[in-house]
Amino acid sequence: MLTIGLTHYLIVAAVLFCTGLFTMITKRNAIGILIGVELVLNSANVNLVAFDRYLGSERMDGQIVALFAIVLAAAEAALAVGICINVYKNLATIDVDSASQLQG
Amino acid sequence: MGNHTYELLLALGVLSPFVSFWLLVFFGPRLGKPLAGWVGVVLGMGVPLALSSYVLVNWLGEVESGQAAALTASALRFQWAMIGPIAIDIGVKLDSLTVAMYFMVTFIAFWIFVFSVGYMSGHSDEVAGKSKYHRFFAYLSLFAFSMLGLVVSSNLLFLFIFWELVGLCSYLLIGFYFHQRVPQYAQMKAFITNRVGDFGFLIGLMLVYFQLGTLDLDEAAVVFAQQYATQTGIFASTFTMFGWSLATIMGVGLFCGAMGKSAQFPLHVWLPDAMAGPTPVSALIHAATMVAAGVYLVARVFRLMTPEALMFVAVIGCLTLALMALVAMVQTDIKKCLAYSTLSQLGYMIFGLGCGAWIAALFHLITHAFFKAMMFLGSGQVIEGCHHEQDMRKMGGLIRKMPFTGITFLIGVLAISGFGIAGLEIGGIKFGLGGFFSKDEILAVAYTRSFEWEEGDFSKHQEQGDGHGGHGAIDRSDENDRIRLASFGQQESSNLEVLASGTQADHGHAVEHGAENPHSTNEKHSGHGTAANAGIFANTPKLPKWMFWLAIITAYITPFYMMRCWWMTFMGKPRDEHVHEHAHEVPLMYVPLVVLAVGTFVASYFLFRPLIADASHVGSSAAMVMAIDGTAHTEAVHHAHVWLQYGVGGSFVVGFLVAIAIYGRGLALADRLKRVAGPIHTLLERKYYIDEIYDLVWVKGCVALAYVARFFDTYVVDLIFNSLASVTERLAAFSGLIIDNQGVDGVVNGVAATSLDIGDRIRRPQTGRIRNYVLITAGIAAAVIIGFLIWGPDVGGVPIAVAGL
Repeated sequence: MLTIGLTHYLIVAAVLFCTGLFTMITKRNAIGILIGVELVLNSANVNLVAFDRYLGSERMDGQIVALFAIVLAAAEAALAVGICINVYKNLATIDVDSASQLQG
Repeated sequence: MGNHTYELLLALGVLSPFVSFWLLVFFGPRLGKPLAGWVGVVLGMGVPLALSSYVLVNWLGEVESGQAAALTASALRFQWAMIGPIAIDIGVKLDSLTVAMYFMVTFIAFWIFVFSVGYMSGHSDEVAGKSKYHRFFAYLSLFAFSMLGLVVSSNLLFLFIFWELVGLCSYLLIGFYFHQRVPQYAQMKAFITNRVGDFGFLIGLMLVYFQLGTLDLDEAAVVFAQQYATQTGIFASTFTMFGWSLATIMGVGLFCGAMGKSAQFPLHVWLPDAMAGPTPVSALIHAATMVAAGVYLVARVFRLMTPEALMFVAVIGCLTLALMALVAMVQTDIKKCLAYSTLSQLGYMIFGLGCGAWIAALFHLITHAFFKAMMFLGSGQVIEGCHHEQDMRKMGGLIRKMPFTGITFLIGVLAISGFGIAGLEIGGIKFGLGGFFSKDEILAVAYTRSFEWEEGDFSKHQEQGDGHGGHGAIDRSDENDRIRLASFGQQESSNLEVLASGTQADHGHAVEHGAENPHSTNEKHSGHGTAANAGIFANTPKLPKWMFWLAIITAYITPFYMMRCWWMTFMGKPRDEHVHEHAHEVPLMYVPLVVLAVGTFVASYFLFRPLIADASHVGSSAAMVMAIDGTAHTEAVHHAHVWLQYGVGGSFVVGFLVAIAIYGRGLALADRLKRVAGPIHTLLERKYYIDEIYDLVWVKGCVALAYVARFFDTYVVDLIFNSLASVTERLAAFSGLIIDNQGVDGVVNGVAATSLDIGDRIRRPQTGRIRNYVLITAGIAAAVIIGFLIWGPDVGGVPIAVAGL
C-alpha cells in the first residue's frame, strides 16, 4: 500500500517550483510573472513544512519559517503589484519585454 | 687750530660744490642765465676758495711752528667699509701737499668759474633748442667736487673713485656741445683712452690691496717698507713680467693710471682733441687741474715705487716732454699749440718724479697750473674776441685790441719758458718766473742723476750722513733728519738734499686708528725705514744720458713755440681784417687773467716751494726724494754745474730770438722753412701719425677682428649649431612620430580599445528582458546545484546526489 512520505511532498514541491519557474520565464505579462513567483514561493513553503514534519524536531521550526515566508510573500506581492501599476502608468502596458530601458 | 678743524674745513669745501651741483641740476633752469652761473661761482668755488685760503694761512703757521707733522699723523679717519680683514677708511689726507694742491685748485678754478660766466654770455648755450647754461655750471661744480675730493682722499680707493669722477666730468664737459660731431668724438676718445690707463691703475690698486693688505696711502707705504725690510709679501713673490718684479709692476700699474689722466705718451692722444670743449674747460680741466691729477697720483704713491718703476716713469716722461714739444712747434691752432705745450710740461713733471725730483715736479705742477690756466683763458678771450677764430695764421696784431690779454699771455709765455736771470736778486727776491725755478730744478736733478750719480750712491750718502759728515761735504742736520749733499764743490751752500725721512721717529706718520697701538706701529715703522730706504734704492741706476739731453733740448724748444704762438697772435700785422676788426675784450674775462698773472708771480716764489718741501719730509718715508732748492738758496742749476746754469738760464733767450727771427716779419719765412723741412714738418704736423696708427691698429684691427669673428660665427659656430638643430629635429620627428604616436599612444589607445571591447561584450547579456534574467539565473542556479551534486563533497564515499537518493 502506498505510504505518503517525504519524497511525495518533495515531488509536489518540485512540480510546483518548475511550474512557477516556467511561468516566470514564459509569461510576458507582469502579473503572470508575479503568479509564477508565488508558485515558487509556495513550493518552498511546502518543502519547509514537509522537512519539518518528517525530519524536524518538536519545535516546528519549518512551519514557523513557512508562515514568515507567506507573510513576506504577501508583502512582496503588494510591492510587486505597486511596481506593475507604476510600469503601466509609464508605459501603458505591463508587458515586461516593453520595459527594457535598463538594457545595457 | 686743532681738533680736526683743518680736515673739517677741507671736507666742507669738498661738499660745497656738490651742493651747488644738485642745486643747479634741479633749480638751474629756474635760476636763469646769469644767476645760475653766479650760483656756481659762489657756491661751487667761492666757498671752497675762502675755506682753503683760511686753511692755507693757518697751515703755514703750523708748518712754521712745527705742528704740521703731528696734525698730519692725527688726521681724521672714519671706517667706511670692512672687506674681509681689511678696513677701508674714509678720511682727509692732511699734509702740506694737500693744502697746496687744494689751494691751487680752488684759486684757479674760482677765477675760471668767473671767466666762464663771461665766456658763456658770449657763447650759444642752446643745444637742440634748449638752454644748457645751468648744465655747464652744474658740470663745473661736479668737477670741482670730484677734483677736491681727489686731492683730499687719504685712501687709494677713494682716490680712484674721485679719479673716475673727474674723468666723467671731463667727458661731459668736452662734449658740452654734444650736437656737434667733433666734440662727440673728442669726448669718447678722452674717455676711452683714459680707460686704458685706468686698467693699469686697477691692476696696481689690486696689487696694493692684496699684497700690502691696505688701501690707505700712509699705511701702504709703511707696509711696503716693512715688506722690503723682511723680504716678505710682495717682495717674496718670484713673479716677473717684462723683467719686472711684482713690486715694480705695482708701481708701473699705478703709473699707468697717471699716464692716462696726465696724457703721457703713448696715451696722450686724447688731450689735444679735448680742446674741442669750451675754452674754460680746457683751462680748468685739461691744463691746470685734472691732467695734473696724474702727477699728483704718482707723487702720492711715490713711496710704493721701486727704482725700476721710477725708471719707467722717467722714460715715459722724457719721451712725452720731447715729442710733444716738437709737435707744438708746428701747430697753427692756438688751443692745440697750448695743448701740446701742456703735454710737454706734464712730461717734465713726470720726468722729474721719475728722477726723484719730487719737490721740483710738484712745484712745477703748481706754477704750471697758474700760468697755463692763464694762457688758456687768454686764448679763450682771443677766440671769443675774434669771432670763434682759432687759427693763429689769421690773427696777428691783436695786442692793440686786447692789451690785457696780450700782456698776461706774455707773462705766461715768460713763465713757461723759465724766464729769469741767474744770480740777479732784487731786494732778496731772485729775478725769475715760475718755470725758472721749477723746471730748472728738475733739470738739475736730472743732471745729477745722469752725470754725478753712481749706483749705490743713495745708501752711501745715507751712511755718510749717519756718520755725521765723514766726507765733510755731507752734513746731517739733526732737527729734520735730512741728509744733505754738496757734491759739487760748494760745501757751505749744501744745495742737493737727499731726503730720507724714514729715519725720523718723531716725524713718524704711521696712521694709527682703531685699536692699534700707536707706539708699536711707530717703532716698527721707523725701525725698518732706514734699512728699507737703503735697500730699495741701493742700486738706483744712473739715468741714461740721452734723457737728460732730451730734457735740456726741449728746454730750448719750449720758449720757441711759446713765443711763436704769442707773436703770431698778438704781434705783427693783422692778417685777417675781418677777425681783427671784430676783436674786443670783455671785463669779466680779462679780470681773471690779471688775477692769475699776479698769482703766477706769487706762486713762483715764496709760497709753494717751501710748502711742498715740507710735505716731502713727512711724505717720503720710503722714497728717494732729491731736491736742489733754487728758491731758498741760490739758483738750482748754478750748483749742478756752471755750464748748466748758462745753458738752461739762457735757453729762453735763444728760443725767443729764433721765434722772433722766423715769425717777426709775417709768415713768409716760416712757409719757406716749412717747404725746406718737408717730410719732417709733415710728420710733426700729423703728430707722428699716432692717431693714424691707433686707427689702423685698434680701430681697424678691432673691425678686422670683428670680421674674423663674424666669419667664424657664420661658418663654424652656426654650422655646429645648425647641424645640432637638424639632428634635434630628426630626433624629435623620430620620438614624436614613432615612439610617441605609435608606442605611447598605442598603449594608451590599446587599453581604451580593450576596455571598450570588453564592455561591449559584457553588455550583450543585459537585454533588459526580465524573462531572460530569470532564465539565466535559474539556469545558473541549476547548473551550480547539479555541479555541486556531481562534484561536490562526498558523503560516505559516494557523491551527495547519489547519497541523497
